Amino acid sequence: MNTSSARLPLLILGGALLLALGPLVLPPFYVRVGQLMLYSAGLGVAWAILGGFAGYGSFGHAAFIGVGAFTAGLVENQFPTLAPALLLLLGLAAGAGACAVISALVAYPILRLRGTFFAIAMLGVCHVCAEVNNNVDFFQGSMGINFAPIAPASMDPAVFFYWLYLAASTIVLLIAWAIWRSRFGAGLLSIREDEDTARMLGVPTERYKRQAFVISAVLTGLLGVIYAHALGYITTDSVYRDDTNLSLIVFSLLGGMGTLFGPVIGAFLLVFVTQVILGRLLDFHLFATGLLLVLLVLMAPGGVIGLVRGWRLRRRSEMVPAE
Amino acid sequence: MSAASILRLEGVSKSFRGLRAIAEVSFAIEAGSITSIIGPNGAGKSTLFNLVTGYLAPTAGEISFKDRRITGMATNRIAELGVARAFQIARPFRDLTVFENVRIGALFGKAGVRDVEVTVRRSLQLAAIAHLAEQPANTLTVGQLRHLEVARAIATRADLLLADEPCAGLNPTETAAMIDVLRLIRDSGVTVVLVEHDMPSVMEVSDRVLVLDAGALIADGPPHLVASNPQVIAAYLGTPDPSPLPGHSP
Repeated sequence: MNTSSARLPLLILGGALLLALGPLVLPPFYVRVGQLMLYSAGLGVAWAILGGFAGYGSFGHAAFIGVGAFTAGLVENQFPTLAPALLLLLGLAAGAGACAVISALVAYPILRLRGTFFAIAMLGVCHVCAEVNNNVDFFQGSMGINFAPIAPASMDPAVFFYWLYLAASTIVLLIAWAIWRSRFGAGLLSIREDEDTARMLGVPTERYKRQAFVISAVLTGLLGVIYAHALGYITTDSVYRDDTNLSLIVFSLLGGMGTLFGPVIGAFLLVFVTQVILGRLLDFHLFATGLLLVLLVLMAPGGVIGLVRGWRLRRRSEMVPAE
Repeated sequence: MSAASILRLEGVSKSFRGLRAIAEVSFAIEAGSITSIIGPNGAGKSTLFNLVTGYLAPTAGEISFKDRRITGMATNRIAELGVARAFQIARPFRDLTVFENVRIGALFGKAGVRDVEVTVRRSLQLAAIAHLAEQPANTLTVGQLRHLEVARAIATRADLLLADEPCAGLNPTETAAMIDVLRLIRDSGVTVVLVEHDMPSVMEVSDRVLVLDAGALIADGPPHLVASNPQVIAAYLGTPDPSPLPGHSP
């Protein structure tokens, strides 16, 4: 861990300020693309706290988007007279609470699984949550749930949600950074590298995994709550999405697995490529995305960050003659 | 039982589905010593380490460390009390540098506040790999990886180091270097227990030798006495004069 990592929050905040100017200069279509980029980046980072740092790649994190969104909706609709800002805060708190409880309960059995088994079990968790949400009338999953508009009347909702996503994702990234440089973060890293050895060195692996899981789930849930508000109306199908489950893994793969900024780079890149470049190709775009991924995993398993690191290492070894 | 014993096993047994790997083994390890555990393959040496570090729970018997019962305790809790292990097949964190590897040991391990940076530097120095600090672990040779295992283990500030065949597969120069490191570690106040096959190393470095055969302790004493024990010779050494084992090429 180098000393420059202490300056990273300034870099993150500076970048966020720069991005905040986006809606002032971008045409509406790109503001919407920007929304999706920022939302995806936040989700990618939240996923990476468990999947990237600790190496427990979940294939079912959309469960927490769904749980967060539906809990928020159900709770908020009990208070129709509340001011928009308070309503959102209430929804965020409720969504985070539900995600914390569910992830803490699921953590005990599921974190005993490793690798692919954990990933697939999480997919199962996601589908079980979706089914319950859809089939138990109380949760209103099949008929859908409305969210009161929270954007100020004077402001374009697209711009409002762009800034909301930006603020939320920046906070998620700052939390991830704080974990990254902490003793907890070092413990997660050692779990990813070799869990048995980590335990032998005194890392409380079981507790750390549970904590990372709950933090990751709660942050994902918070973003899910904002997402639901941005949509205004959700059904089970609009939040428990398997393409989201897949994308969360892809963001890290694309940007650099296990790195802090990898999922941000990956999310920006993938959203931009699929929405802007391939968006016009309609049905063809899924095929193109798939092809891109296969090529990437084959040719740059370390993602964009891995490519840059490799390039820099080569440069350095060219400048210093080999011994 | 002497008051200076740091590790104590009493009637420890371990069975795997009826197969007895360890049969009622009792011994105490004196603090500040180097003890070697030898025995033919399958004698239960590694199982013994797995029991002490909590990877496995004994079927019967008690294990205590610094007069504290650790039988069946979680591995990371035992590490927090001050037991560390260096694996025979090195298990470095491959994506990290040597420094970062050892840093994990220094950040965790034995509970309590510590100066991480200083601990890492001292451990690297003690294990004679300070010059490799910035190298990625996956570029190290087999011998260097063994030193990394040891450095990472002692960075936990353990009081007891269990080293699983630290000299296996090393050439004579590397073996000598490893023996020096183990001595330095002992002199720094850490009790060392080795599982080792390389008899010349065992004879040279050990204060005491324990011999396991088929899960049972068959001999216990200073190296020269154990090496001339007829039962040990029959079970393991095969020749009364243990000459250097063939097959090591530099």
